[in-house]
Amino acid sequence: MSLRLDRPLPVSARLAWRAALLSRRRRLFPYLLIAPSVVLLLLLIAFPLFFALKNSFYFWNMQMSPMPLGFVGLGNYGMALHGPVFMVSLMNTLVLTVSGTALEVVFGLAIALLLCRELPGMSPARAILIMPTTIAPIVVGFLFRYMYQPDGGIIPWLLSVAHIPVPARGLLGSPITALPSIVLADMWEWTPFCAIIFYAALLGVPHEVIEAARLDGASAWATLRHVRLPLIARPLAFVTMLRFMQLFNTFDLVLVLTRGGPGSSTFTLGYMLYQQGLVDFNIGLASAMTWIIVLIVNIFITLFVFFVFKDAG
Amino acid sequence: MIERISRRSVLKGTGALATAAALAAPRVARAQKKSIRVLLVADPFYYALSGVAAQFTEETGIAVNIESLSYDALNARLVTSFLGGHPDADVISVDNIWLGQYLESKWVKPFNDLIKADKDINFEDFIPGVIYSINEWRGQIGTMPVAPYGMGVMYREDSIAAAGIKVPNDGSWTWDQYFDMVKKLDGQSFSGHKMSGTVVAGQQPAPIVHMYTQLAASMGARWFKHFPEAPWDFTPTIDSKENIAAITLFRDLYKNSPPESVNYNWFDAGMRFAKGDIGMFYWWTPYFYLCRKDGYMSGKTSVVADKMGIVPLPHSSHPQVISIGGWGLGLPANSIAQDEAWTFIKWATSAKTQKAMALYDKYGYQFSDFARRSLYGDPELLKIYPYLPMQLTALETGNGKISRPGVPTYTTLESIYGLNLNKVLTGALSPEECAKQTTQYWINVLKGNFMVPFRRPSYDDTLEATKALITSLA
Repeated sequence: MSLRLDRPLPVSARLAWRAALLSRRRRLFPYLLIAPSVVLLLLLIAFPLFFALKNSFYFWNMQMSPMPLGFVGLGNYGMALHGPVFMVSLMNTLVLTVSGTALEVVFGLAIALLLCRELPGMSPARAILIMPTTIAPIVVGFLFRYMYQPDGGIIPWLLSVAHIPVPARGLLGSPITALPSIVLADMWEWTPFCAIIFYAALLGVPHEVIEAARLDGASAWATLRHVRLPLIARPLAFVTMLRFMQLFNTFDLVLVLTRGGPGSSTFTLGYMLYQQGLVDFNIGLASAMTWIIVLIVNIFITLFVFFVFKDAG
Repeated sequence: MIERISRRSVLKGTGALATAAALAAPRVARAQKKSIRVLLVADPFYYALSGVAAQFTEETGIAVNIESLSYDALNARLVTSFLGGHPDADVISVDNIWLGQYLESKWVKPFNDLIKADKDINFEDFIPGVIYSINEWRGQIGTMPVAPYGMGVMYREDSIAAAGIKVPNDGSWTWDQYFDMVKKLDGQSFSGHKMSGTVVAGQQPAPIVHMYTQLAASMGARWFKHFPEAPWDFTPTIDSKENIAAITLFRDLYKNSPPESVNYNWFDAGMRFAKGDIGMFYWWTPYFYLCRKDGYMSGKTSVVADKMGIVPLPHSSHPQVISIGGWGLGLPANSIAQDEAWTFIKWATSAKTQKAMALYDKYGYQFSDFARRSLYGDPELLKIYPYLPMQLTALETGNGKISRPGVPTYTTLESIYGLNLNKVLTGALSPEECAKQTTQYWINVLKGNFMVPFRRPSYDDTLEATKALITSLA
C-alpha cells in the first residue's frame, strides 16, 4: 500500500502516522513469523485431507482404471457405510480404543505412582520401562503371535497354569478372545509410555503440597484423588487423547495378529482402510472412509476436550 | 557479434548443467554398468533365483540387484511406483490375479512382439494351461512364467497305513472318499501325536479363498454366470447348490482340523503338516518340497520328509478343475533398462536356469515349480523331486481362470468371500447364509464397479485360444 502526500505533514501528524505504521507492523509481525508453519501445515495436513475429500466423490478404483472414472457424489460414502464390515469395524474400533485407552492410562498411572516410591531397583526399572515403546508395532505383533500360539506359546501356558481356560482355537482364533488379545499386545507396548509421561508429571507436583495434605490427615487415595490428579490433569488429558487417536487408527497389530479374523471379530476401521486403500486400491472408497474416520475421531476429541477443559477458562 | 558473458549467465549455465548431470547421472551410470533391479515376492523361487543370479551376470555382464517383499507389500509398492511414474524396478514378479489390472493400465509391457521376434525362447515348451492361467489376459502375454503352482494332496504315509487306509495314486477317488479318510484319521493316536484328520488354511481373505476355491471348482461351483468364455457376464453364481455343498464340505473338513487353523495362512497350514500330526491335506504344489523342511528356508529336514505321499486331487461328478496360480516375470513399462530386463526375463524362465534353480541346494532343494514341460522328464530332477509327473498332470489339466478368475475387482470380491467363509468356520454363518450374503455384497460391488451389467467388449478367453496364440508366437 502506498500513500501519496502532496505537501509535508505537520510533525505531530507525521509522528502519529509513523506510530500507526509501527503498531500495524507490530500486529502483523507475529503473523509473519507463524506464516511458514501455517503454510507447511496447510501443505502437510490440509492438502492431503482436501485431496482425499475430492477423491471421495469420485469413482476411482485402480483395479478398474488408473484414473478416476467419474463423479459419484456421495456414492462412496453410501458404499462405505453399507459395506459388509463397516458397522462391526466401528464397534470393534470403539471397544478397542476405549478399553485400550482406559487400561493403558490406569495401569500407566499405577506404574508411575510406583516409580515415585523410593523402592530398591527403581532406577533400572525406569530405564527398562521405555523399551517396549521403542519397538515397532509390527515387531510387537510378531512377538505376540508367537506368545499366543496355542501349542507352546507362553501366554496360553501361563493361563493354563492359572487354571484359566484357553479356547480350543487359541486366543487369536476365538471371536471372544481375539480382540482382547490385541488390546493386551497394545497395552504391553504403550502402557510404559503412559507411565513415563505420568511419572514426569508427578515429579513436577510440589512436595510441599503433598506434605500439607498428609499433615491435614488426607489418606493416600484422597491425596491422589484431590491433589495429585488435579495437578497432573493436563498431561493426563494429553496422553489420553494421544492414545485414543492412535488406538482409533490401529491396523498394524490387526494385520500381523489376526487380519481382522476370526470372522470380522477384530476388523477395525484402520485395517478396513488399509484393505480398501492398499489391497483393493479403491481410492474413492478409501478416501470416503478416511473422512468418516476423521469426522468420528474429531467428534470424540472435541467432546473430550470440551468436558476435560471446560473449567480451565 | 561478440556477446558479453555475464557472471550470472555463467552461473546459470553451470547450474543447469549440474542439474542435468545430476538427473542423468544414475541413468548414465546404470547404462554404463548395465545393471537391473529385480523386485520379487518372497516365495521359494526368489531364493532359488537369487542363488543362481550370479550366473546371469557372468553370461551377460549385466549386474542384477534382487529384492524381495511380502505379497501385499509388493503390490502396494508396484502400484505406487506405476502411479508415480517413476521406475521402481526393471523386472517384477506379477501374481496372476494382478495381471489384467497391470496390462489394462499399461503398467507392464506386453511380450507378444518380443516373443515372436525371439525364436530361442522355445515358447512352445511352456505348458499351455500355465500360460493361459497366469500369463495371458485378453490375448496378450503380460508376463513369462517363473513359478506356476498347481494343487495336490499330501498325506503322511505311515499314519495312513496304520489306519488301514489306501490312498489311490491315480486320482481315482472322490471328495466324499477323501472326507471319509480324513474323518477316520482324525483323533487317532500315532507316533506320540493325537492326529488331526486334515488341516485348513482358514485365515481370511486370501489363504481361505485359495484353499476353498480349489474344492469348490472341483465340485462344479463357478464364480460368475459366464466367464472366461465370451460373452462375459459377471452375475455371481456362488449361491448355487454346488457351491453350498462345497462350503458345507469345507466346514466339515475344518471340523477335522486343528481348531486354531481357523487363523492359519498358507505357510501355517503347510508347516502344521510338516510337524507330523496331520493325516492328509491338499495344498499348492510348492508345499510338496516345502513340507520336507521344518521351516521356511530353514534347511532342516521335517519329521514327515521321507514319509510324504503325494497324489492327485479327488474329483466329483463334475469335470475336474485344478487350480493354477503363481508368478510371472513382468517388464514395467517405465523401466529404463528394457533390453537388459527382457534379457533377464528370458534367462530366468529358460529351461537351463530353471533347472539350475531346482538344483540350488543352499536350503535343501527348494524349487520345482516349472512352467516348461521339458523339465518334468529330466532324470536328474526326477531323482530329487519324484512327484514331478503328478505335478505336470495337475498343471496340464488345471485352469486358474475358473477357480479364481483374475477379473478387475478380484481382491475386493476375495475380501468378502474370505471373510464369509471364515465366518462359516467359526459358526457365525451357515453355508447357505454365507453364499447368500456373499452374493448380495458381490452384486453391490460388481454393480458399483460397472461390471454388472458388463458393457465393455468381452474376450473369448479359452485354453484353445491360448494354444493358438502360443503356436502363432512360437
